[in-house]
This record gives sequence, C-alpha cells and structure tokens, in this order.
Amino acid sequence: MRPDKSRVDLQRRMLLAAGASGAAAGLSGWSPASLGQTAGAKPLPAFAAFKDASRVIVHSASGIETRREAFGTSGVTDTDILFVRNNLAAPDASINANPDAWRVEIDGVANPRALSVGELKGMGLASVAMVLQCSGNGRAFFGHKASGSQWKVGAAGNTLWSGVPVKALVAALGGVREGMRYMTSTGGETIPPGIDPNSVIVERSVPWTAMEEAILAWELNGEPLPLAHGGPLRMVIPGYYGVNNVKYVKRVAFTVDETRANIQSSGYRVRPIGVKGAPVQPTMWEMNLKSFVTHPAGGSLRAGPTQVHGVAFSGGSPVSAVEVSLDGGKTWRAARFFGPDMGRYAWRQFVLPVTLAAGAHEITSRAIAADGEVQPEQRIENERAYAHNGWRDHAVKVTVA
Amino acid sequence: MKAAFAAAMILALPPAAHGQELGRRVFTELAQPPCKLCHALKAAGAEGKLGPSLDELQPDKAKVLDQVTKGAGVMPRYDDKLTPEQIEAVADYVAKVAGR
Repeated sequence: MRPDKSRVDLQRRMLLAAGASGAAAGLSGWSPASLGQTAGAKPLPAFAAFKDASRVIVHSASGIETRREAFGTSGVTDTDILFVRNNLAAPDASINANPDAWRVEIDGVANPRALSVGELKGMGLASVAMVLQCSGNGRAFFGHKASGSQWKVGAAGNTLWSGVPVKALVAALGGVREGMRYMTSTGGETIPPGIDPNSVIVERSVPWTAMEEAILAWELNGEPLPLAHGGPLRMVIPGYYGVNNVKYVKRVAFTVDETRANIQSSGYRVRPIGVKGAPVQPTMWEMNLKSFVTHPAGGSLRAGPTQVHGVAFSGGSPVSAVEVSLDGGKTWRAARFFGPDMGRYAWRQFVLPVTLAAGAHEITSRAIAADGEVQPEQRIENERAYAHNGWRDHAVKVTVA
Repeated sequence: MKAAFAAAMILALPPAAHGQELGRRVFTELAQPPCKLCHALKAAGAEGKLGPSLDELQPDKAKVLDQVTKGAGVMPRYDDKLTPEQIEAVADYVAKVAGR
C-alpha cells in the first residue's frame, strides 16, 4: 500500500475487516460498510464513492459488481449497488454540476443541431424499466482466463431511466435522413492529444431502428443521473448490452456505416478463443435469454422451508416462464413470477418455495421465452468471454445441515 | 546524435537494467501511442488518466503481456506495433515498478 491520502481510509478499513470477528463488538461508530469488506478488498473509486461497499465487489477503479446476495426482492436494483463499468476514465465531475447545460449534437437528421439537456427536457418524456448488463457478465465462469473484469452474476441490474425518447427528438428535427442504417452514439470522455481518437473513443453503432425504444436519459432510479452511470446524459437502448448505452453522450448521429472506432470494429466482437476481433464477427447488441438464482447465494443453510428466488430477462423474445432445479439440472420445477411486471426489457423475479433436505444441493434456474427458446445449459466459448447465459455455470452450491 | 548517445548508454548497462531501460522507453515513447498517455505509472513519471492507474492495478507480468498482446476493452493491441522483445521488456518493467 502506498501512503497517498486516498489509500489511508482503505488501509484502516482493511485492518479493521481483517480483525472483524473479534473486534466488532468493541468498536462504536464503525460504519456498516466496512463490515462487509474482506481483507484485500479494493477501495471504491472516488466517482463511485456513494456505492455500498458491503454489497458490491470492487474489481478495479472502473469495474464494480453487485454481490449476488445483494439484489433483494423489490425488483429494482438500487443505484448504490448497481454495477459500474467504464471503458475510459470518467470525465471530470464538473460536467455534472449543471446537467441542463450539457450539450448533445444530433446529426444524420434533416435538421441537424446541438441541443442542451435543458432543451431536451421540453421535447418529450419517457420512462423505461430495463436490464442494464455488461457484455462480459459471467466472465468469471469461463475457463480460459479472458482478460477484463472477472464478473460473476452482478454486472447486471434492473433500472429505471427517464429522458426524452430519441424518436420524439428525431421527429422534431425533421426525421432521419434517407439511407442511414445505424444510430451512432459518442461518449464525452476527453482523449489526450497524441492518441488517434478512433483507437480509444467510446463510440457505438446500433441498427438505426433501435431508436424506436431508445431514450436520452438524465434520470436513474428517481434521481439525477450520477457521473458514474453516465450523467449528465446517457444513451439508453432497452434490450441491448451495456456498452451500447453510451455515457456522457455528446453526439448521436444516424450514419450509413458502423463507426470505425476500435470499440466497434474489433472490440465487443464474439469470436473463437485466440482469434482477433474483426468487423465481420457478431457484435454485442441484443442481450440473450438469461436467468440466475439470487437466493440462496451459496454457503450453508439450515434444513427446512426456503424461498428460492432469482431474476430472468431477455433482450429478444420476452421471458414467459422459469424453471428451477435443486439437483444441478437433473430435475426441474416450474417457478412462479412475483412482483411487478415492468415490461419486456425489465427482469421478472421468480420464486419457488422448497423444503431443502440435509446434504449438498446445486441450485440453478433456466428461463423460457415466449417464442419457445430455452436458456441453454452451456456457455459458448469465446475469446473475450461475452454473453454467458449457460445455467450450469450460474448454479449456486449450498450445503444444508 | 541523441539516439546514438542513448543507445550507447543502454549498451553500457548490465543485462537486467538494459531490459528495464528498454521497458521504460517502450512505456514512455516507443509504443505508439505510448502507454504513458493513458496510464499512470509513478516510476515512469506517467500521469495518464484515460485508462486504469497501473500503480493501483499492479498487474503481474503475465497480465501485462496479455493486455499488450491482445488489447482489452478500448485498449488497442500492440502485437503488430512492437517487437516480441519490446513487449517482453515493457511487461517486465511494469510488473516490477507498478506501485513503487
């Protein structure tokens, strides 16, 4: 550990956490956040200091995931536990001091122009519940040590966004120009001179029809959008992987071609292990069908009645049913949905009341979509460990005494 | 002149220090774009803020080799921009000095 000031707090926390079991009773004024810290835990980065450290896993200064047991049962993932993933360092916090002043350029429409968030607020309003999920969620379950954050289940959350519908905005600007095939969003991170912007810029293209559901959002879960989640303004595309939901969005253009930025042309491409990324490979757009159990989250349980619950979601055909297995997929039982149905892009919570007998159990779930698709057992091996939705790896092992 | 002088200096160093010096130069100038533009690394006087601070990350050599060779996220791959010797040197260097 180095002696700079941001570390001091951590060091103290780590020391405290290391001796937690013995020392807890004797300490007063000790924040609950430090209780959950395990020895060696990384500190929350400054831009995400508001996160609840006891309920998240800090992978790096730009990667924080929700613990499986932290999701709860209300259906919405609170902002203080929602995962964070930034491809580049976030811009200075000052950009979020006066969100209404942030400007976004709209291009590829009949009347292109730049608009402030203040102006956008007068042009339309929509709110959407949707799963936000990192492309690499589940990477930790792959076996080939793919680089990147080793997410388990928690690089996903069910979130509520408010903003202006992109289609309302486009209509006000005379419509999309003819022949445009993509909607390309550009992040507002500052790229230092000397770097070819295309090599690192966060710029993502999605099929232009995605604008039908997309919003430019300034509010998350009822509060002004924090910098860590893309404030002052974020492109939000229901059903699409997180990377397409460009933070600090400064330009939205309808374009003939996909952006040539690396993050589009070679990054976020699904290909066999050992193969380089290329534009011909599938890109991370629509999310696949997935579910996972959030309780029990593993470890030891007492024998007796337990509510096995979890979440199920899809970027394509909506989830219509979920089955739960207590024996590692040998037998399955139909679970029941509970809680509000927040629409096709949100997750549904499911529950199955069970009585667990003493012994070892491997508990997992599989989602079934309206079109008949069933969540697969196995992951698809790929270089960057994206898109994991195999139910076998997402199982939790519990021991019942 | 300058380059010739630098080369002479490097040749005069013992082999381990030679590798370290090459690694530092890859980090600060030979890689294009240089690592230092995006990453902080105190030992190299680098204060880049776009990517993760290597002093905080403290990657081991295998991790640096992997990232530099394959790229990750928005970080470009350098396997076609640097020689295997240069990649080896920068990985050695970063693994040794990160966090110091």
